[in-house]
Amino acid sequence: MVTNPDLLALITTMKMAGLTTLILLLLGTPLAWYLAKMKSRFKVIIEAIVALPLVLPPTVLGFYLLLAFSPQSLPGQLWQQATGQQLAFSFSAIVIGSVLYSLPFVVQPLQKAFEQLGDSLLEAGAVLGASPIDRFFNIVLPLTKASFITAASLGFAHTVGEFGVVLMIGGNIPGETRVLSIALFVHVEAFNYAKAHLLAGSLLIGSMILLALIYLINFKPLREVKP
Amino acid sequence: MSTLSLDINCQFNGFLLSLKQDLKLKGITGIYGHSGSGKSTLLRIIAGLNNQATGTVKFNDIVLLDSSLVDTILSSNGNRRKKTFIKPQARNFSLVFQDNRLFPHLNVRENLAFAAKRCSHSRLKVSEVLKLTELESLAESSVTTLSGGEQQRVALARAILTEPKLLLLDEPLSALDQNSKNVLLKMLINIQKRLDLPMFYVSHSLDELQQISDNILVLSKGEVVDYGDIHQIIHQLNYAGADSDSDLSQLIIHQQTSLALPLKVNYNQPEDNHGLKTLLLNDLQEIHFPAHLIKDHSTNKQFITTNDLNEQVNLRFFILASDISLCLETTNNSSIVNHLHGVISKIDCSNNNVLITIDCAGQSFFANISSYSLDKLLLKEDQAIYMQFKASAVRTFIT
Repeated sequence: MVTNPDLLALITTMKMAGLTTLILLLLGTPLAWYLAKMKSRFKVIIEAIVALPLVLPPTVLGFYLLLAFSPQSLPGQLWQQATGQQLAFSFSAIVIGSVLYSLPFVVQPLQKAFEQLGDSLLEAGAVLGASPIDRFFNIVLPLTKASFITAASLGFAHTVGEFGVVLMIGGNIPGETRVLSIALFVHVEAFNYAKAHLLAGSLLIGSMILLALIYLINFKPLREVKP
Repeated sequence: MSTLSLDINCQFNGFLLSLKQDLKLKGITGIYGHSGSGKSTLLRIIAGLNNQATGTVKFNDIVLLDSSLVDTILSSNGNRRKKTFIKPQARNFSLVFQDNRLFPHLNVRENLAFAAKRCSHSRLKVSEVLKLTELESLAESSVTTLSGGEQQRVALARAILTEPKLLLLDEPLSALDQNSKNVLLKMLINIQKRLDLPMFYVSHSLDELQQISDNILVLSKGEVVDYGDIHQIIHQLNYAGADSDSDLSQLIIHQQTSLALPLKVNYNQPEDNHGLKTLLLNDLQEIHFPAHLIKDHSTNKQFITTNDLNEQVNLRFFILASDISLCLETTNNSSIVNHLHGVISKIDCSNNNVLITIDCAGQSFFANISSYSLDKLLLKEDQAIYMQFKASAVRTFIT
């Protein structure tokens, strides 16, 4: 049993970010595919909704989610009926909140990759006898691998870094909803700067390493131009 | 023989492709037309890549597309039968695209294996097809480093490995230089014969089509203009009335005889002092042609060699109809080396041009003469006749 509250917050954060990234890849991939292939004008509305967390203050999203998750509202009630537990201020709530909050970070790179890939290789795969699933795993996935890694890393990093949404819908329950960013806030509030430095510094270096890895994966050396 | 029955309409961007035609799946069928005549669209409909087309597409008795049943209430249970549309991956028609569309994350061998793995029969092996398409030395190369001609060869090899019932080729040579074109054309004919694989070959070059196809479908503005034996159709196209509003009426096409029958070539016979070789048409008649036609110019060796005198070789030779002249009697006092004896099987007159079809040892030859000569020689069908042409009038792809 982990007793150190900061370590507990780290474990909660990793659990939340890991689960969120997994759900984002499972939901974001078909959504990005649909947006990349969709020719209808209504596409822009879905795109705008997906991109909303990029511009919206996290507290706004958190506020509406809190209302929706409360036992007085329909989604909250349905959840309670299905699981027997309250949704607001639970681990499940912060995972759902993070999925919505980090959605554009996964959907946008994937959508762009699918758009760039086009249909020509998929048509070639089809006439060679490959089914849609077969084409996805053996043509699309290998050719957009870098974008998947970027999407997953950005989704993960952004989830680790979120604060407002988690605070609004999760509160600060150790081992349940207290994540690193909230633990940091608690230390600063208590003027416990040494502990705050440890958490802030680790988050800074961790994020730096993750981003550097993403850029390394996508790094393509410029070809020398022959005279 | 298999048949592909088409009765389709496809409208997009103000263009209407509308055709009703049964196509025989034998040998190579050329699909000819100008840009925008609907050739590529037709191929995509056959392959199943176009889902906007309405009508029916049938392969023998198998319905690949039938949109007529939509909204028809059927049978006692009142269920609405949905439009029949067999997906491209279930049709087993392979398509070679104009742009090769190779998978860049796979090397040559892996691209071929992709097709072989998804083929249910797997009679052909990757190694066999690599050999057939002369790609053995490039098997482990990345497809992105290959030349255009090599990439198209990989695309062709990959398409063959699905062992399709019909191979569709959408202007596969259009982006290649003349040399690569010749290599691939020869390869296509060789593959067609070896695997007995019916092909539809889309091209806007009639010269290319005359070299490889047996039948031709001519499209213009989304409609079928002609379908049939390539030599007959080309004759009709050549002399289509000037008043025709078809956009094909202004073509100038060089009618050819293509010697596509298996010819017995005595390859072991040394070149004579005059640089000529001989094709044996039958026991009595032979055709002399320049030996350099069957030589590989880069190595100066014969590119087809065989130890068996009787082996049948499917190399195509061509003689332009305008290069053949006709004579009622044979003569030995002529500089012309080829004299063949045959029987007139058909006389087609268009304006002042006459196309005579002559049957000689089971091979049809085409000769163009003027209507003046026709009257002068009093030529009739079933009449015995002598054909004359120079050795240099015999051509192969390399012209």
